[in-house]
Amino acid sequence: MIPWDFVLWFFLGSLVLGLVRLVIGPSTADRLVGLNLVAGQVLTLLVLLAVKEDVALYLDVALVYDIFGFLGILAIVKYFTKRRTS
Amino acid sequence: MIVAALVLMLLVAVLSLAAKDLLATVVLLAVFSLLCAVVFYYLHAPDVAITEAAVGAGVSTLILVWAVRRTARGGEG
Repeated sequence: MIPWDFVLWFFLGSLVLGLVRLVIGPSTADRLVGLNLVAGQVLTLLVLLAVKEDVALYLDVALVYDIFGFLGILAIVKYFTKRRTS
Repeated sequence: MIVAALVLMLLVAVLSLAAKDLLATVVLLAVFSLLCAVVFYYLHAPDVAITEAAVGAGVSTLILVWAVRRTARGGEG
């Protein structure tokens, strides 16, 4: 079977590595890439926990987070395009 | 594992308070609400986690970026 503890801690460790880039990133573009990376890691973590607990309702959290997290990242990207052109 | 998520939440919250760039603060607050949703998820409250993910990560980031664009970006300095 799947070694759940190892998989979950592995994803949490890689989330911390993405968080380091998000914290020390010199420019905001680096922070944006870090945010995208952390969002992907957490999305995978949520789906893995839903599969582990075997509850289909938990998948909705991952779905809603994916939609609205993309909306937030899109807002920051739109801020950059506005800055460059003006 | 919930202890690790709470420690990461504390770290991100302190860093978002200490950041000079307001857009960096917005990004760190998005990560904070994301980790908050994970903690709610661990506590077996998926509906609260859904609301936290929708409002905290999406709409709150949208409104804060909008406010930063309308005002100054560089903090109080």
